[in-house]
Amino acid sequence: MMRFLLTLVAAMTLWVFPATAQQGGPLRLEITEGVIEPLPVAVPDFVADTPAAQDYARNIARVIAADLTGTGLFREIPAEAHISRIASFDSPVQFADWRAINAQALVTGAVSLDGAGRLVARFRIYDVFAGQELGRGQQLVGERDGWRRIAHKVADQVYSRITGEGGYFDSRVVFVAESGPKDQRAKRLAIMDYDGANVQYLTDASAIVLAPRFSPTGDRVLYTSYETGFPRIYLLDVASVGRRALPTMEGTMAFAPRFSPDGRTVLYSLTQGGNTDLFTMDIASGASTRLTTAPSIETAPSYSPDGRQIVFESDRSGTPQLYIMGASGGEARRISFGPGRYGTPVWSPRGDLIAFTKQSKGRFHIGVMRVDGSEERLLTASFLDEGPTWAPNGRVIMFTRETQGAQGEARLYSVDITGRNLRQVPTQGGASDPSWGPLQN
Amino acid sequence: MNTGQIISGAGHLAVIGWALFGGAFRTDPPPLEVVEATAISAEDYAALLAAQGAPEAVANVNTPEPPAPGEAAPVLGSEADSPPILSQPEASTTPPPDPVPSPPEPVPSPAEVSDTAPEVSPPSEDTAVLVPQVSPRPKPRPAPRVAPEPVAPSEPDMRVDDVARPEIAPDAGAVIEETPQEETAPEEATTEIVTEAEEPRDPAPAASLRPRARPARPEPARTETTAAQPGLQAPPATDSAAVSDALAAALGQGAPTPERPAGPPLTAGEKDALRVAVQRCWNVGSLSSEALATTVVVSVRMFETGKPDIASISMLNHSGGSAAAAQQAFEAARRAIIRCGADGFDLPPEKFEQWRDIEMTFNPERMRIK
Repeated sequence: MMRFLLTLVAAMTLWVFPATAQQGGPLRLEITEGVIEPLPVAVPDFVADTPAAQDYARNIARVIAADLTGTGLFREIPAEAHISRIASFDSPVQFADWRAINAQALVTGAVSLDGAGRLVARFRIYDVFAGQELGRGQQLVGERDGWRRIAHKVADQVYSRITGEGGYFDSRVVFVAESGPKDQRAKRLAIMDYDGANVQYLTDASAIVLAPRFSPTGDRVLYTSYETGFPRIYLLDVASVGRRALPTMEGTMAFAPRFSPDGRTVLYSLTQGGNTDLFTMDIASGASTRLTTAPSIETAPSYSPDGRQIVFESDRSGTPQLYIMGASGGEARRISFGPGRYGTPVWSPRGDLIAFTKQSKGRFHIGVMRVDGSEERLLTASFLDEGPTWAPNGRVIMFTRETQGAQGEARLYSVDITGRNLRQVPTQGGASDPSWGPLQN
Repeated sequence: MNTGQIISGAGHLAVIGWALFGGAFRTDPPPLEVVEATAISAEDYAALLAAQGAPEAVANVNTPEPPAPGEAAPVLGSEADSPPILSQPEASTTPPPDPVPSPPEPVPSPAEVSDTAPEVSPPSEDTAVLVPQVSPRPKPRPAPRVAPEPVAPSEPDMRVDDVARPEIAPDAGAVIEETPQEETAPEEATTEIVTEAEEPRDPAPAASLRPRARPARPEPARTETTAAQPGLQAPPATDSAAVSDALAAALGQGAPTPERPAGPPLTAGEKDALRVAVQRCWNVGSLSSEALATTVVVSVRMFETGKPDIASISMLNHSGGSAAAAQQAFEAARRAIIRCGADGFDLPPEKFEQWRDIEMTFNPERMRIK
């Protein structure tokens, strides 16, 4: 009887206590719906500590603002709307003035030239509404002609501190620069900053070049050239522009090369006797290893970031679809099952997504899917979209878009993995086959 | 047998006897009408008729004179009628032949009536022979801003603000001076991200679904079983919350404890208003994928003016992501509280004790799938 009474008392206590505790506690709310819109950011011109740094101070701020707004995640508040002026890098920030114009982030900086004539840039990032600095201020030193890289590095820091993701502004893209009419188009390898600036040509237009691919460290490029009449794979050193053809067997065609994550191996397609299979080649020794033996066409391979798996395109089921297999070959697992034809898969640097080209109902799309094939989402749609490549942070995809007709031209475009912020990458002429390199040191 | 019974029996007998023999059940025939008549013979009847109808005879009759011989025949004064014009009838167009009547559809012979009721099967949802092209679900228009509620684009020259405000122009004739106010409207927004591939190509549906057959008559309601049936839509959360609050208020569960005297608890509407005010400024567009998978619980102490004490905003805990991602998520939440609380949240002052301390859980799960 006593046990029963104790149990009853305990139960009553447990029943009553939560209610009283809830009454005495704070008001609790759950926020599940928000908005997705660009974050308003103010980037006033940097302070020029020396008169010679005046132009650099203004131009660096403009490039930072362009980098941030180009992501689609930020919206710059124009200088005309600024109430407060940054007269000194070390003076306190009047947060109320920046709050009044709804600036949620503020980037301030100063530029000077040191005794050796090098550019010195200092910057700070503020959370305006919290009234505090985000992280600590930093200083960058570089050559004068490298002022754009300094600006990109500052923008990378701002982007990283606010979003929590790595930046991608201080990176380069290797691509095929195209010129001339469509039936006589000249193609050259070229390299540029991610935003289209600082274009440098790596080859001349004497031979058709295709599908350049950056090495993981960004110092080398693999590409396919028809210099000999047959497609062959070449390895080019970016700094010296020196190149050499990788060894291959007579009567075969090698193409679609891609580096392994450690940069020591080349994964490529080889057509021999009318059949196309996947191979790897040790760059140092030139020794090749066959990975597939199927009678179908296997091509467009890409390593996973850890180098343990390969995603590729195969028509073994009748139409081109995407498959994943181990890095040393073996059983392949199909991951694409939607209607249409899939191709050119590329594994995200984060390892969570695979970008691809899809042809369906007369249109081309760039899309992404999980590595198990789920959550497929098409990001673009046009007459011809193809050849996706990932930004170093795995957040943005660049690809080729070609317009229809005799006057049609290929251009480079980028899009966020959410499908937002589709925009053209500025290039002087036609451009195709982009390969996004890593962040520079 | 007592006297009463005797009297009663005698009375009954008297009444029955009167009814039987007094003519109570006898009806008298209606009185007949008597008419006097006289019998006559057939000869007399014929003579009587002849005397009444015979006409009188006429003696003198005027006869016309015959024409004299040799007189010319009289000229007919009337002109001859012109021959009638025969007009040909207009050729009428041959009317189109009547459509061949379609043979009547055979009327199904009535089924034999049986005592057992036929089984009524519910109509199948996908029984159309020609599967129509399903009209796509209307996609929201692409817009740079994604918000819980769609917002139509405003006028080009209208200032964008978090809330819509009507324009207040100074009125020269008004006695009461009004503070001029610029008309504002929220920024154009859609409810989800619309990629280029998802943009609707043609808003008009190619075909519409065949109307569904009338559903089978519902079974008699059995409350004890329908409540447990899966697939039934739950009532809106707001309704249930309102009902819960009403029940709580009725049962006295919302009464403050003696240790914490305060006004009545916030109603569901007041809580929702606060929630909406915060989420209007909760911008997750610049968060990383990992931060978008991180839920943070943020504590804030409020002033009586409805403004948040910025220094008191802190992250109590987080789940679903790394510490760095939680920090990004917390900063976005903090910006939301400060930004939309800058002018003070619309909270009832008499219930200040109820909302002085607030814990907000920012769960971005729904925002990830947009």
